[in-house]
Amino acid sequence: MLTLGRHSFADTDLLVMAIVNRTRDSFYDHGATFEDAAALERVHRVVEEGADLVDVGGVKAGPGEEVDAEEEIRRTAGFVASVRAEFPDLVISVDTWRAEVAREVCRAGADVLNDAWGGHDPALAEVAAEFDAALVCTHTDGAVPRTPPHRPAYDDVVAAAVHDTVALAERAVKLGVNRDSVLVDPAHDFEKNTWHSLELIRRLDELVATGWPVLVSLSNKDFVGETLDLPVDARVTGTLAATAVCAWQGARVFRVHEVEQTRQSLDMVASIRGHREPALVVRGLA
Amino acid sequence: MITAAVLCPHPPLLLRELTGRADPGADLRVACVAAVAEACEGAERAVVIGGDDTTAQWDESSRLRAARFGGSPGHASPPPADADSAPDLPLSLGIGRRLLDDAGWSGPSMFLGVSWEASDAEVQELAERIVAIEGRVLLLILGDGSARRGEKAPGYLDERAFDFDDSLAKALDTGDAASLAGLDVALASELMVFGAAGLRVMGAVALRQGEPSRASLTYNDDPFGVSYFIAVWRF
Repeated sequence: MLTLGRHSFADTDLLVMAIVNRTRDSFYDHGATFEDAAALERVHRVVEEGADLVDVGGVKAGPGEEVDAEEEIRRTAGFVASVRAEFPDLVISVDTWRAEVAREVCRAGADVLNDAWGGHDPALAEVAAEFDAALVCTHTDGAVPRTPPHRPAYDDVVAAAVHDTVALAERAVKLGVNRDSVLVDPAHDFEKNTWHSLELIRRLDELVATGWPVLVSLSNKDFVGETLDLPVDARVTGTLAATAVCAWQGARVFRVHEVEQTRQSLDMVASIRGHREPALVVRGLA
Repeated sequence: MITAAVLCPHPPLLLRELTGRADPGADLRVACVAAVAEACEGAERAVVIGGDDTTAQWDESSRLRAARFGGSPGHASPPPADADSAPDLPLSLGIGRRLLDDAGWSGPSMFLGVSWEASDAEVQELAERIVAIEGRVLLLILGDGSARRGEKAPGYLDERAFDFDDSLAKALDTGDAASLAGLDVALASELMVFGAAGLRVMGAVALRQGEPSRASLTYNDDPFGVSYFIAVWRF
């Protein structure tokens, strides 16, 4: 069982986490939902399309406009409160590495803290424990937030991801985070080159085998672009292929831009695995 | 003595576990079970007749193993532990078994498969045997009309299917036993009528038993390009 704030999910559920950026400069949507109204409109749309949770982010992952904690709180906390008011049952995640931001968004109603920079701020897990929030433990190999990879190298990237995320997960539980509310994320492209990200998909079963529920964030990333030699606006097909392979190997949560296509891909994989009945079977049975 | 004869179709989609999250066979199943339940009243034993590759009687404890047709891995029933002691019923008889169960029937039952290619002599012999069964007998016949009623039908479109099925429907609605007993077997085969064998037995039994006192066709539709009939004859 996976507990994300107010909701529990079965081990066979495949969850779509819809990205809602409160940034001016994120790589894929270029500020499309920076304004409150547009962001709320996106929440409406992704919920309609089948998202199980939203992931609100106030700072672009890559280098760009400086966003301090105060500004990050301004971008996220009020918005979380608005979403919570409008969608009392929706699971809300916030993508942040700062404990002070985490505290404010939890007060506003967030259920999940997506610590995308791998425990950079050790106090963040304590906030998760304090507010009974779920926590995503990510492998970034100690990278400083918002720094792109430069010549990353690993003896074994999968072993490194397993080691670091499990260590973060166990630490979180020791600090009081509910064991059912801790996820691990190998963090494709974070302090990794394309080879590393591909290997982390090919061998995702090794992370799944740790028993911690696995979240993957693959959506339109550069490893898809480099693999297929495609620009950022042409990577959906590659993303969905990677999504299906991860789902087949046991990933549980999928952080994405395209909710409807992801939902369809995951439903298809779930039915192939025998965890979801097809919508309607008549062919050959009449 | 036969008290009632009920004809029901036997598409696998009547089995709820095979159709996924939707239940396209819901209405048909309800109508079948209602007809069978009604006919069960006053009966002491059930005799189930359905087409199969060979003519044979099946053990009463046999069941249909629906998993042969699919279903979710988590939901499909496992094969019986001792497959030899309870062989899987063929589809037609298995659907009959399921309909009897759903109708709440708990009396003794006999399961007779009739070869799709049964000769007239074979049909007559079977009819004689059924009529000789003692007690008040409910006859449940499994059979469909043509499966060639449209471009999306399992057997594509054969225009002759419509006249054939109309004649069949009329015979079922009027208790015309002679028409059923004398079905054009060759044409039925060409039109993919997977009910001909059972219908011929139904007709032959009624001819020996005497015309039904009441006959009604309560369902006649082809939602998936296959004709489904539900008919009840009272004797």
